[in-house]
Amino acid sequence: MIEFTTTRHNPMIDPALHLWGWEVAVYLFLGGLVAGLMIIAGVRLLVMRPKERQALVCCTIGPLLGLVLLSLGMGALFLDLENKRHVWRLYLTFQATSPMSWGSWILLLVYPALLANALTHLPEAIPALTKRIPLLVTWSDFILARTRLVVAIGFSNLAVGAGLGIYTGVLLGTLSAHPLWNSSLLGPLFLFSGLSAAAALLHGILVLTLPDEELPNFADFLLSTLSRWSESKPLDARIAPTLAQADNSFLTIELMLLGLFLIGHLTSTEAAQQGAYLLLGGPYTAAFWVFVVGMGIATPVLLQFLELRHRIRHTLVPAVLVLLGSLSLRFVMVYAGQASHWPIVLR
Amino acid sequence: MMAPFYKFGLFGEPASLIVAFVTGIGFGFFLERAGFGNARILAAQFYFRNLRVLKVMFTAIVTAMVGLYFLSRIGFVDLSLVYLVPTFLVPQVVGGIILGVGFVIGGYCPGTSCVAAATGRVDGMVYLLGMFAGLFGFAEAYPHLEGFAHSTAMGQITLPRLFDIPYGLVVFAVVVMALGAFVAAEWAETKFGDGSAAGGDSLLGGPWKLTPVRRFALVLGVLGLVAAVAGNPYRGSRVTMDTRELAIEAGRGADQVSSDQLADWIVQGTADFRLVDLRGEPKFAQYHIPSAQNVPLASLSPDFAARNEKIILYSGDGVQAAQAWFILKASGFSSVYLLRGGMEEWRRSILFPSEPKGATPAESIEFARRCAVSKFFGGTPQAGAGTRAPEQPKLAAPVLPTAPPPQPSAAPKPKPKREGC
Repeated sequence: MIEFTTTRHNPMIDPALHLWGWEVAVYLFLGGLVAGLMIIAGVRLLVMRPKERQALVCCTIGPLLGLVLLSLGMGALFLDLENKRHVWRLYLTFQATSPMSWGSWILLLVYPALLANALTHLPEAIPALTKRIPLLVTWSDFILARTRLVVAIGFSNLAVGAGLGIYTGVLLGTLSAHPLWNSSLLGPLFLFSGLSAAAALLHGILVLTLPDEELPNFADFLLSTLSRWSESKPLDARIAPTLAQADNSFLTIELMLLGLFLIGHLTSTEAAQQGAYLLLGGPYTAAFWVFVVGMGIATPVLLQFLELRHRIRHTLVPAVLVLLGSLSLRFVMVYAGQASHWPIVLR
Repeated sequence: MMAPFYKFGLFGEPASLIVAFVTGIGFGFFLERAGFGNARILAAQFYFRNLRVLKVMFTAIVTAMVGLYFLSRIGFVDLSLVYLVPTFLVPQVVGGIILGVGFVIGGYCPGTSCVAAATGRVDGMVYLLGMFAGLFGFAEAYPHLEGFAHSTAMGQITLPRLFDIPYGLVVFAVVVMALGAFVAAEWAETKFGDGSAAGGDSLLGGPWKLTPVRRFALVLGVLGLVAAVAGNPYRGSRVTMDTRELAIEAGRGADQVSSDQLADWIVQGTADFRLVDLRGEPKFAQYHIPSAQNVPLASLSPDFAARNEKIILYSGDGVQAAQAWFILKASGFSSVYLLRGGMEEWRRSILFPSEPKGATPAESIEFARRCAVSKFFGGTPQAGAGTRAPEQPKLAAPVLPTAPPPQPSAAPKPKPKREGC
């Protein structure tokens, strides 16, 4: 990335580096979310015992949603491209030192992995669909008959998901021209942010379909229509506490990584310190602490903690907050990062 | 440490937004816990069935009022820095009626509608949408309403100032009013209520015991009584000060700003200070330093600016500015500065700089710089004048660049702090 490093031979003249808008932030968010969905789906597939085959939320809805969300994210990325007609050239080569090359190939691997995971339990999850397309049952039976194949699908989801989540952070982390981004912690940070968003999303879906939940009429109608059409059994709500618990762990780890990220910058060079000050007193302070830390991490952790202690009901609120917080993290990072640069030295 | 913290610069704008987030969460939480997310409870007060809103709100008001009064009496809060919404009597009465009607019909006020929406009530969300629609409608119609909205202006007025009665007495009166309202509310609930408001301990009925509610009322009454005789919470015009400290500060010259420095700030658009011209109006109209505000010395009162503002004073020769400096310092202003040499020095060094005889190259460069500054302020440098002109030329045009030419804007007005409730 040497071509981006500016030495500012012309004092006060900055190259135009503020190039990335909402598209990249949305893509990074959706990419992280899908990575989280993949990892959860992979783990669930691996640890599921043959008797408790209620795989609907984690292993079917999750991967299917992942396919849609990833396509949306790649659509956003495509909008951001300058030369849209040349996008196929990314797949003519593989550059081991380029995160973009890694990313484009990982994205290509995500689709089959997600699809295989969704297919494994599709017939029992959505019986209506398999009645119309009997071929799906054949494929599902083929997979389920081979334990090793199931394990392989689970592990490939895990591996590709982790790769995707880390890559979204590394993509920013390798740009040394923007000191705020230039941290290897960005990879795990985005991975855990994506994991927490995915756990929150699945938890939110479960909460929506809880039988004792009072819903507005239109939502109730929509859900009952959907379940009638798909002829699926009601979702297994027993996994909801596990998801909330996992979400809280992911959020706690994310908070710790954020702390380490800031400490790392504050104890580094002046350029990195100035980058960190964008979030600690600079123009992005309020957005970061209110939307990312306050509403995106602290509040949902507290709410889910109370849910797990049976003090309050499971609601949609933590899911919405975590998803918005995860999105805000990408927006703040993308915009604040582009505002951070090397300090001017006038001689 | 002294409150209000934001006004005294304890933290900046980003931190203030974070504080707003935390206090907002707290406010919303307690509104919800008080049951204010429920339109039925809110609307019940208009039928005198359940007066919980009145009780909670009056409790909050009385607690805040008594707390603020005593905190400012012991010198922890500077009440003069607490923002007061200016009063426009008729428009605000009309606005209040509209809000009240909306409250009865919709069952929410703005804050409680947010609480209701956040707790997932659809009527709260619809109310919130209506509120935003109203906001946009009002903003669009504002040009036509502006005349009315600014009519019957009374400024930042308080009850004690309006009726000219002691502050403490008003505190006491409000406490008595609140206690009366609590009693009346309880009576109304037993008369009109359906029993939904019952429960908890009562001010009136029951055995004659010192229940927590009665204890609270008693403490409130006592505090109100004390306040009635405890005097004015605002700082008066009489103060004591540390003269030694003042003398040291003045002796060091730390209270002065050179005209070069001031010119620099204006050119760079630094707008964190208030520049005050103490000369009479005619002279001010003839010429003043850009961004200056005219406050003739005779009309100088400590109310003209906030006590934590950075103020730079100047007058013709500097004597009046020095007097004003003392007055402001004595009134508790923390950062007041003098323009060294006053207007005369400003003319000599900024507007009409002259090159000294036999200037060294360094001095010539310095002079060239001064020429540029002078042109910025619309003056004429006395180039090539071998000797200093015996008399400074008169400024040709009385109107001077309030909005100076192309340069980085001289940002004349200090940025107004966003305030409101």
